Amino acid sequence: MKILVVDDFSTMRRIVKNLLRDLGFTNTAEADDGNTALPMLQAGDFDFLVTDWNMPGMQGIDLLKNVRADPNLKDLPVLMVTAEAKREQIVEAAQAGVNGYIVKPFTAGTLKEKIDKIFERLEGGA
Amino acid sequence: MTNNEESVNEEILQQARQLLEQLESGDMQNARTSIDKLSGGSHDASLFTEVGKLTRQLHEAISSFQMDNRITDIAAQDIPDAKDRLQYVIDTTKNAADKTMDSVEQCIPLADGIKQNASELLSDWSRLHRRELKPGEFRELAGRVEEFLKSVDADAGQLHASLTDVLMAQGYQDLTGQVIQKVITMVHDVEENLITLIKMFGNMENFKQAQVEEQEHHGAEGPIVNLEKRNDVLASQDDVDDLLSSLGF
Repeated sequence: MKILVVDDFSTMRRIVKNLLRDLGFTNTAEADDGNTALPMLQAGDFDFLVTDWNMPGMQGIDLLKNVRADPNLKDLPVLMVTAEAKREQIVEAAQAGVNGYIVKPFTAGTLKEKIDKIFERLEGGA
Repeated sequence: MTNNEESVNEEILQQARQLLEQLESGDMQNARTSIDKLSGGSHDASLFTEVGKLTRQLHEAISSFQMDNRITDIAAQDIPDAKDRLQYVIDTTKNAADKTMDSVEQCIPLADGIKQNASELLSDWSRLHRRELKPGEFRELAGRVEEFLKSVDADAGQLHASLTDVLMAQGYQDLTGQVIQKVITMVHDVEENLITLIKMFGNMENFKQAQVEEQEHHGAEGPIVNLEKRNDVLASQDDVDDLLSSLGF
């Protein structure tokens, strides 16, 4: 399981990577916004994307839309971890096809719960 | 000198002589009337009005000059200073977060190692209790227990040191708090000066209306800092989950 963690703050990337490692996901890579993340996703064999929303360059919501529009990436599970909490934004992310949405600040328990739920659904749907 | 001025001067001179005579003869009542005449009667009202206007203009010019200085200072000094301060907050909080995570990342493998060694030893220890150890295995187990105790001793010292580093890294809260407090004071100062500017040159009605208007928020805005004033925002992960499940998630 190879995971890409996208956030403009290195601190947050490090927190997420540590939590993912605790959950047994040791194969992770980092990007600091959508513009860096998208080519990595297109070139690499990532199985999962964790992304922030508010970033300079390409924002997380646009990264999500680009991923869904790319025939090779459209089924990639995407978990959004963001401080953005407006109702309209969450609806927008849902309509764009996000698989999970976590608002910051969050707990290790919430991350585990959402990731478990995403994989349950994927296995159930497969 | 014009004829008119000459006649005015003559009249004043005449009044002055009259006043002198009245004073010398002790006619105080008429002397007072003459003083009032001399000091000018009907010109006064308009003169005082003019002086009043000038004083007010001067006062306004002085206070707007002072404000010009203040606004110049704000633009030249306070705002660059505030930017430095906020950059300091970003740097300091990032440093603290990095230091804390360095320490935590040193602690985690130590804790994992202690746990793993302890559970292995525990299972062999249970075999000892159940008298399942072969001769010679006991000696080997005793050696491992001794090694384990030594490593716990060293690891606990390392954990203690790392936790103290985590503790000390929290000092950023005090430092950044002080720095941010100054920025808040500065922002307040700018606000007051802007309001004075609006009062002098702008439209207070528009300002008052803008104060009560609801601000619209679009796009990404980062963490919500005024949750209690917002009705377009979800307050918790539970609310987010509820909204998503209502959308079929």
